[in-house]
Amino acid sequence: MSATQEFRIKWGMVIDLDKCTGCGSCMVACQAENNVPPAEDGLNRRRALNWLLVYRLSNGKPFPDHDIAYLPRPCMQCGKPSCVSVCPVVATTKDEEGGIVSQVTPRCIGCRYCMASCPYHARYFNWHDPVWPAGMEKTLTPDVSVRPRGVVEKCTFCHHRLMAAKDRAYAEGRDPEKLPDGAYVTSCTEACPNGAISFGDVNNPEHKVHELIKSPYAFRLLERLGTDPQVWYVSRREWVRRLGDNYLNNEPTKG
Amino acid sequence: MEGKNYNLPADAAFFPEGVERCSLLRFLLHLVPIVLLGLWGAYAAFRVLASGLGVTALDDYFGFGLWIAFDLGVIALGAGAFFSGALRYLLNIDKLKNIINLAVIVGFLCYSGAMLILVLDIGQPLRAWFGYWHPNVHSMLTEVIFCITCYCLVLIIEYVPLMLENRQIVKNRFAHALAHNFHLIMPLFAGIGAFLSTFHQGSLGGMYGVLFARPYVFRDGFFIWPWTFFLYILSAVGCGPMFTVLVATFMEKITGRKLVSWDVKQLMGKICGVMFSIYMIFKLLDTIAWIFGILPDAGMTFDQMFYGWIYGRWLLFAELIVCGVVPAYLLLRGKYRAKPSLFYISGLLACTGVVINRYVMTVQTLAMPVLPFDHWETYAPNWAEWGASAMVFAYAWIVVAVSYRYLPIFPQEKELNSK
Amino acid sequence: MLDRRGFLKFVGGAAVGTLATPVVWKGLDDLSIWTQNWPWIPRLDKGNNLNTYITTTSKLCPSASGMRVRLVNGRPVRVLGDVNNPLSRGGVSALASAEVQLRYSPARLKRPLRKTSDGTYVAISWSEAETVLRAELAKAAKDGGLLCLSGDENGTMNELLSALTVATGSSDFYLMPGEAQTTAAAWKSLGGKGRVGYDFARSDYVLAVGAGVLENWGPVVGNRRAWGQARPQDGEPAMRLAYAGPVQNNTAAGADLWLPIRPGTEMAFLLGIAQILFARGCQSAGVESFVQLASEWTPDKVAAVTGLAPERLQMAVEQLLSAKAPLIIVGTDLAQGGEAVPVILGIALNTLLDRINQDGGLRVLPVAEPVFSRAMSYGDMMAQDFTAAVRAVAEKKRPAPSMVMIYEANPVYAMPGGAGVEALLQNAGFTVSFSCFFDETAKQCDLILPAAMGLERLDDVSTPFGFGESFYTLCRPVAKPLYEARAAGDVLLGVARQIGLDLGYASYKDALEAKAARLGIDWGKLMEGACITSRVTLPLQSLIFPSEQIATALQGRLAQPEKGTLAVATLTKLAFGTADSAIPPFCTKLVTDAELTAGELSASMNSATIRSLGLSEGMKVRLVAGEASLPARVRAFEGVAMGTVALATGFGHANFDAFNNGKGSNVMDLFTAVEEPGTGLAVWRCPDVKIVKA
Repeated sequence: MSATQEFRIKWGMVIDLDKCTGCGSCMVACQAENNVPPAEDGLNRRRALNWLLVYRLSNGKPFPDHDIAYLPRPCMQCGKPSCVSVCPVVATTKDEEGGIVSQVTPRCIGCRYCMASCPYHARYFNWHDPVWPAGMEKTLTPDVSVRPRGVVEKCTFCHHRLMAAKDRAYAEGRDPEKLPDGAYVTSCTEACPNGAISFGDVNNPEHKVHELIKSPYAFRLLERLGTDPQVWYVSRREWVRRLGDNYLNNEPTKG
Repeated sequence: MEGKNYNLPADAAFFPEGVERCSLLRFLLHLVPIVLLGLWGAYAAFRVLASGLGVTALDDYFGFGLWIAFDLGVIALGAGAFFSGALRYLLNIDKLKNIINLAVIVGFLCYSGAMLILVLDIGQPLRAWFGYWHPNVHSMLTEVIFCITCYCLVLIIEYVPLMLENRQIVKNRFAHALAHNFHLIMPLFAGIGAFLSTFHQGSLGGMYGVLFARPYVFRDGFFIWPWTFFLYILSAVGCGPMFTVLVATFMEKITGRKLVSWDVKQLMGKICGVMFSIYMIFKLLDTIAWIFGILPDAGMTFDQMFYGWIYGRWLLFAELIVCGVVPAYLLLRGKYRAKPSLFYISGLLACTGVVINRYVMTVQTLAMPVLPFDHWETYAPNWAEWGASAMVFAYAWIVVAVSYRYLPIFPQEKELNSK
Repeated sequence: MLDRRGFLKFVGGAAVGTLATPVVWKGLDDLSIWTQNWPWIPRLDKGNNLNTYITTTSKLCPSASGMRVRLVNGRPVRVLGDVNNPLSRGGVSALASAEVQLRYSPARLKRPLRKTSDGTYVAISWSEAETVLRAELAKAAKDGGLLCLSGDENGTMNELLSALTVATGSSDFYLMPGEAQTTAAAWKSLGGKGRVGYDFARSDYVLAVGAGVLENWGPVVGNRRAWGQARPQDGEPAMRLAYAGPVQNNTAAGADLWLPIRPGTEMAFLLGIAQILFARGCQSAGVESFVQLASEWTPDKVAAVTGLAPERLQMAVEQLLSAKAPLIIVGTDLAQGGEAVPVILGIALNTLLDRINQDGGLRVLPVAEPVFSRAMSYGDMMAQDFTAAVRAVAEKKRPAPSMVMIYEANPVYAMPGGAGVEALLQNAGFTVSFSCFFDETAKQCDLILPAAMGLERLDDVSTPFGFGESFYTLCRPVAKPLYEARAAGDVLLGVARQIGLDLGYASYKDALEAKAARLGIDWGKLMEGACITSRVTLPLQSLIFPSEQIATALQGRLAQPEKGTLAVATLTKLAFGTADSAIPPFCTKLVTDAELTAGELSASMNSATIRSLGLSEGMKVRLVAGEASLPARVRAFEGVAMGTVALATGFGHANFDAFNNGKGSNVMDLFTAVEEPGTGLAVWRCPDVKIVKA
């Protein structure tokens, strides 16, 4: 419905699926960084809050030709987000330089229309008020407000880190709109022991991701639906790339 | 003052002129199970408001569930109010005056009930008014919020004069004058109502049609509107009037009295037959375009749209054929429509078909995996969701029962039941 | 008088009038503020935005993740990776990531407890606790009946504890069985000196056999960092990885080549590799008996035992031979209680490929002398076999100890169900546990003492097992111990001194300073977070290949599985805790259907295996091994070897906390401790299981 807005800076993530081994470090770092409450029953995929979720992919072949891959799924920060135009109260927007899709939880009324619109399941609803075990609330970071029940939340590419990086640039007399590569990265990028996640401004030739997204092995999830995600995946394995989008039998795999 | 007749029910003074009603005790007794049902539902609603939506079976896959399907369903069925109103007041089809009151009440109940459910369904009910305060003009849901609330006000305005016509209330000069004045401006409100209702029936459909990343419901635009916009309007006007007829007939069965004449029902049936047939033509075309256009574009096949029994093909067959083409044909052909059994069955089927449509577009859309490595999920509402829906049902039953007992809803009742 | 009409007018007027006042609008505004500030939603403590960072090393994570802990106004809030740490190089494991939150685990032990005669616990003060400890320790010093078990893997605490044990006249100091002991036993039987390290980072081809080098084996975070850096997204990989193991686990997910072999057939697999290597002309001094032994292990025979297709075995060997710096690492998925013979074969293969003391090869590292004069040496400690000691007590081959002291270990949970740990604790005169958590072992002890967590005490990490360089760093406290927890080192030194056992240091810090001095490292630098590494190796002496031991061990492992039974493979993930912890609250969301199905353990099998047993996916079953049995649910997963069932470890904590209770079962209940033929090492083994429909 809404036209794509072009930005000079485009924060993007490139995840090398051949390097992800599914340890979950990114998920833990994400929860801790963004004050997402822990869940006693974390196995409940349909209720547990996960701004970043690692999916397990299978090539579908029987033993011994079976192969697996893991796919971490943050919010895609779509260039043409299906969620933004549907929100009745402008609680989610894509209007800031850098192209991060915001989530204004104090304004969210919790209608969940955005969740219905998002094919990536990147959006999560607070079914209950958040609870930390006694004392654990002392480990909340001062960066991200705690959300009450009844609102939708999602990955923001650790937007507070972008703000902090800009603040640092101001303080050091640098141009906050020209952050060097690595000055701003998300918590998951930093946490991955394998270095599977790269992050930066895909429009900036000085940032590594600018080249990485041009890889012949790079693809984005559900590209043909037209969401124009700002998260790229890389895999040398064709079956992994083919699982990145829906293909009819006769269609060749892109990327 | 009239002399007290002890053969009449205790509250007979409040009955409409010249009609019979059962004893007050019998009336109240029949309400007992309904009230109990309503109380159970009210408890469910209380639990939802007090502890949050965690008490429902909704989850991050099924952010929409029974309640949204229920809302869309009753709003479609409640379309009898605006469509009959438009025909009655704008096109001057005078015969419809004999059923228009009921249509208005049913419409009011459907809309107010839907709003009640919506308040429960949003996570932050205290922020419900943000829809007005921070409206996003691009969102179909904003249009829905505006239109539903405005139209609900219109329905109240249409309902109020009916209430004022209660035999005792109307004795009040002010009330009498007010009712009279309301009647005079009714065409205006019928017009506003038709406008609002058309739009939000459309925008309810649009809500799904615009979901371009959900191939199950995505329908490309017709100018700025998605296809579903028109399909929802057509399906609502195609089944809404028949739903009013079914409610009237149900009331006749319960009360044992004739309320609406057969020719009025037939007229409603004919209107539905025409509208529902037009709807079915477009719906079938839409389905073909979906199978051969939208799905392949999304890299998906028709087969992928179904899963097991719960989201099986039988739902599509039921919606399009058994509850689609069949009732459309039966209602359209005069000789079948004239047979009461076929007439009522087709009405039921048409209403069922539209409810199935609202259900699958709400639930099956979300159950279907769009990510190739995800899988189907299934959803079954829990007691809290059924309870809150039952509360609305109980509320509607009570309002209809009280309205029937005390308000002159059916102009033909006296005449049809005179012996 | 106000008539009715007047009243209505008044009400209407008031309603309209109110709209002109700020009441309504301010009210709505307040409402929108209230809905985000409910009192039960925690408010953020901005702490004047005072951010500080302390670098330290995780004692919780077995791979010794280097951490940069973020504190806000003195409050630790986040564990970040420390890029300056030469081991983990900025990486941090899922477990270490959750460490600051774990401090507030509901299972955290808050104060000293004394178990009463009726089995309940009463809170006591530290001075009371120390009085009891003193008395019991004095008693044990008289009869020399102290048995001490440590869960620490790489710290000076082990020197302190062993010194204390020796000072009381006992030699019963043990480490929780781990990969380090297995490898040390293997190294010892080859006649090696020093200890074994694997120079993972500089290898260009790693063949991991059983060892989850990308998930839980050794210095895994360091391994993963090196592996990741050697595989740039936009270039050709500088390191390739092959993984031989029964399950397509996280290590296999990163491997270029997965070599599925049935559990317990590692020896056959390694001999198969040796056979091809010999056939291809690989030679090395003193391996004649090895050649002899390997000669019969042709790819076809290997395939018959392991289930691995001969082509894949060939492929692995080709890749090994074409690599510049290949490295073979043998371990177990459990990283505990493994068999020594496969490790011996692994070392022998590294020798055969001339990889000893080479860059990217197997490196022989020196071991430092202990700073506690009465402490056991590294070699002696490694030779102590807790599993064997427990069994000896259970079989009444030795008397039960008069006192058992457990430090940061949870053997009741982590040891094989059939090992007899509970009997040891019940028969011991007095039992005491220093533990961070009120875990299964602590619950069985007479005296339970809350230990400070790694983040709350001064401690050290000295060359974690598996790392290819000598390594030393301090763990600096980032916060005061929570509740009444105390650092065990100082408590023990104090108590020992009071009963006349002088261990040589007034405080644990003094001991660490002495350690630093012994290693020639500046204390000030260490206290700034420095990590010291050294690539010094011991010269390689000629190794004696213990072919008889291997032949004996092989015989014991070649029994054909009984028909209808399945071999058990474990699936271990670091995020689900270690032998002395459990699933941290922030890691429960990492649990997937690979571990649990409907709250029960997933019994993962490939579909052919499921079909052959007449089972179906989701079915409730019991896995029966002798008298032990576990409930589980069948899960189809094609990444499991034929005739094998994979079960996740780390679940089935009986009464730990809400984040662990009611989740699956403890796989260790199926395990028993047996003596490895040939080496005599007590190893943990899971018998083949029968699957019965529940």
